[in-house]
Amino acid sequence: MATNEMQAQALNETEGGKTSFAISMLFPLFRATLWGLTGYFAAAWITAALLGSVIVNPLPATVGYIVGLVGWLMGSGLWEGWIRRAFGGAEAPSYTGVERYFRFGPDSKSTAVRYVVFNVVAFFFAGLAAMAIRVELLTPDSTSWWMSEIHYNMTFGIHGLMMLLAVAASVIVGGVGYYLVPLMLGVRNVVFPKLLGLSWWLLPPAAFAVFMSPTIGGFQTGWWGYPPLAQNSGSGIVFYVLGAATLLTASVLGAINIAGTMVYMRAKGMSLGRVPIFVWGLFAAATILIVEAPATFTGALMDLSDMILGSHFYTGPLGHPLAYMDQFWFLFHPEVYVFALPAFAIWLEILPAAAKRPLFARNWAIAGLVGVSMLGAMLGVHHYFTAVSPARMPIFMTFTETVSIPTGFIYLSAIGTLWGGRLKINAAVLLVLMAMMNFLIGGLTGIFNADVPADLQLHNTYWVVAHFHYTILGAVIFTWIAALYWWFPKVTGRKINEFWGKFHAWWFFVFFNCTFFPMFIAGIDGMNRRVAIYLPYLHEINLFISISAFLLGAGFLIPLANLVYSWRRGEKAEPNPWGSRGLEWQMKSPTPYIPFPEGTEPEVVGPNDNYAAGSKEPFVWISAPSK
Amino acid sequence: MNAAKENLWKAFRGLVLVWIVGLAIGETLIAWGVNNWPLVGSVQARITADATTYLMWQAVALYVLVGGAIVYSAIRFRASSASDAVIPENQKRTWAPFVVTWLVLAIGINLANTIYPGMVGLEQLWAIQMDTKNPLVIDVTAQQWKWTFSYPKQGVTDVSQLVVPEGRTIDFVLRTKDVMHDFWVPAWGVKKDVIPNEVRHLFVTPTALGSTATNPMIRVQCSMICGNGHPLMRAPVKVVTAAKFKTWVASNSF
Ligand code: HEM
Ligand SMILES: [Cu+2]
Ligand SMILES: [Cu+2]
Repeated sequence: MATNEMQAQALNETEGGKTSFAISMLFPLFRATLWGLTGYFAAAWITAALLGSVIVNPLPATVGYIVGLVGWLMGSGLWEGWIRRAFGGAEAPSYTGVERYFRFGPDSKSTAVRYVVFNVVAFFFAGLAAMAIRVELLTPDSTSWWMSEIHYNMTFGIHGLMMLLAVAASVIVGGVGYYLVPLMLGVRNVVFPKLLGLSWWLLPPAAFAVFMSPTIGGFQTGWWGYPPLAQNSGSGIVFYVLGAATLLTASVLGAINIAGTMVYMRAKGMSLGRVPIFVWGLFAAATILIVEAPATFTGALMDLSDMILGSHFYTGPLGHPLAYMDQFWFLFHPEVYVFALPAFAIWLEILPAAAKRPLFARNWAIAGLVGVSMLGAMLGVHHYFTAVSPARMPIFMTFTETVSIPTGFIYLSAIGTLWGGRLKINAAVLLVLMAMMNFLIGGLTGIFNADVPADLQLHNTYWVVAHFHYTILGAVIFTWIAALYWWFPKVTGRKINEFWGKFHAWWFFVFFNCTFFPMFIAGIDGMNRRVAIYLPYLHEINLFISISAFLLGAGFLIPLANLVYSWRRGEKAEPNPWGSRGLEWQMKSPTPYIPFPEGTEPEVVGPNDNYAAGSKEPFVWISAPSK
Repeated sequence: MNAAKENLWKAFRGLVLVWIVGLAIGETLIAWGVNNWPLVGSVQARITADATTYLMWQAVALYVLVGGAIVYSAIRFRASSASDAVIPENQKRTWAPFVVTWLVLAIGINLANTIYPGMVGLEQLWAIQMDTKNPLVIDVTAQQWKWTFSYPKQGVTDVSQLVVPEGRTIDFVLRTKDVMHDFWVPAWGVKKDVIPNEVRHLFVTPTALGSTATNPMIRVQCSMICGNGHPLMRAPVKVVTAAKFKTWVASNSF
């Protein structure tokens, strides 16, 4: 069914199906798993038999992965929900009740909820990997009772790749963004709902493969996959490349939806000047993915080709590993803005409602978001100043430093919004404030890495590890949890427990800083990154870091329990608990299957951040003739 | 709903006080940190460490100014309770003096940083390289997972310990036999990737006498992930006087 058809479809009850959960609804999940695993093993085994090799070798693993992925997707409901029609078959009905959470479908809200679940699971396992890293680093020696250097290398590679592509890339864009984009823009769904539905189903097999990569030999390159090490340190690199490419594909499918929905599907009266700031942030992030992903995709596939097909793009006597770096960082530098820009935009979305002030210097903030996304395309080389010729240093140093100007606009806007307001600090707002403080450190320490002379010493030391954890864990993950708390009533109709929310915020803030601040010092003191063994003079500081890290890690059980408990038992929330003027809060919570009934449309008649006493509502509901 | 009126200028005076106290504390801490800086053992390390410490003074100042403003306004302008329904009187959407000041400072600091420590540091590093007429050439070969050093003009080949004279600029010629590595002596303050099929140069002028045994910052350490043996891909270093270097060469060359 086409999107507008679906939007116009008159459902007698916009709530959707009312059947309660039954175990049989899990059928697509089971079938997907079965088809996926069968496909994987069958294809890998047949390939291996044909080549006279074994299934853990790179080529059989590649073929297995591709067939397994297709099997999983078909099993998830893609076959009857979409593909079958292309072969002349009938399309399965759109599921509107609780079963839509467990199968492929076009509903953006259930897709977003599934994103949250996926991100939580991925964060949990990648977090366990972080704990394993810190156990190894409790002592300077090789800690062989715990894991070998080979396993250590695999562990930080998996930790890094999963935290970036299975967590940071989609926590805010996916779980929060895909839910809110249609509601904030005043439409009923995204522009390509099936592509969005598909995007989620790409994630689990990709993440599973990366976590399982040690079973076929693992990969030791860290999350960079630099050749020629990639080709000679384990077949697991195949799962690294394919997993990363699949996760990126999911991101791109989402990006197309965000950009398309914002450009083509806004509510009546919603000029670009009135598009909510969060959607602007997502849009800025989406353009990065759309523009910059191809170069990096190609690089990853060429890296894989060197591994499985015997090509020599980057390897062998004529290979050019530096070319891989160029391609890799072309997207993966700006990728950090794909994580960060939506987080910035969340701050600016939450603060006006919390401080009861309009968003200060809104146009500068938008210029900041879009400016970062444009400048970000030109910076990748700052990740390998130590590898390039001097001629490339000044320009990439200058561009990188320049990106702090648009980034600063976010702070300009946030401070201007707080100033003279009346800020209600609930758990979400507290986390936002903490994220701003952490990102400040992450951003300011980035200037050191942008400055070539300083970077020649700091590059690839723990300084860098500290720097990017400040930006991603300290800002993006803090903001993610803030966003989950803030929009929790929208999705579940209930509130989270404020006490435990704030308690964990402080726990998180304290142990986050205890864990990562000393890493700056370790880096200055000459500790390089990606080492299972370090010199004894660095022992004390690492001991302190590890113990803090365990407390930090254990603390995440608190928000997990809080979210799960509040989902079932939390205090019932009023329709607009924070007194926000955002359009999403003008609709029913929890959001019905069709967010607002046929025949009505929102019309934007004013700015959505006008909190002045007695100001009028920014939206009116008008009746729209059915199409 | 009644609107709350605030004296924003009075509030700003409070912020200025926070800034002054914050700057005093922050910069004192940095002064202490810079005093405890690890060994700066080469001319190049002086340049890169100066860049780093300069940026630290600046980062702390910016952290206090921006972070102080966030924390101060969050506390100063907080609501009295969760059910507080008072609307603040200040509903300004923008205020030009603030925006313009911010813009001017952001652009100004950026330009300044690109010039110093950025370009100035680079020019200094390049100048050493250009002005060195007769560097000590040392061939460095990286392979999984060891370093070997040769001194072509001195006739010393394939030693696994790096012995260098103090005060003379060295041209390290970096090659790898297999994957990427990175040549780094933490005390010397600079590093360079060693890339397959390419030859790279790193110029270093050691200034501090010592050895890995006396200060672990004086060690060769691979700084680019290169497989299992990466953490142990180190080599001992000795920085000796020119005279001692001569005797070392004499007893190690053919
Ligand atoms: C939960 C607390 C966390 C701890 C204790 C932790 C700890 C660490 C440590 C010690 C390393 C350094 C490995 C090395 O270079 O030798 C590392 C690497 C890394 N971490 Fe985390 N981390 C945490 C969370 C996160 C999060 C939330 C993200 C991003 C969303 C993240 C992203 C990365 C990345 C990208 C790497 C680099 C991996 C590589 O070198 O290839 N980490 N982490
Ligand atoms: Cu980057
Ligand atoms: Cu190495």
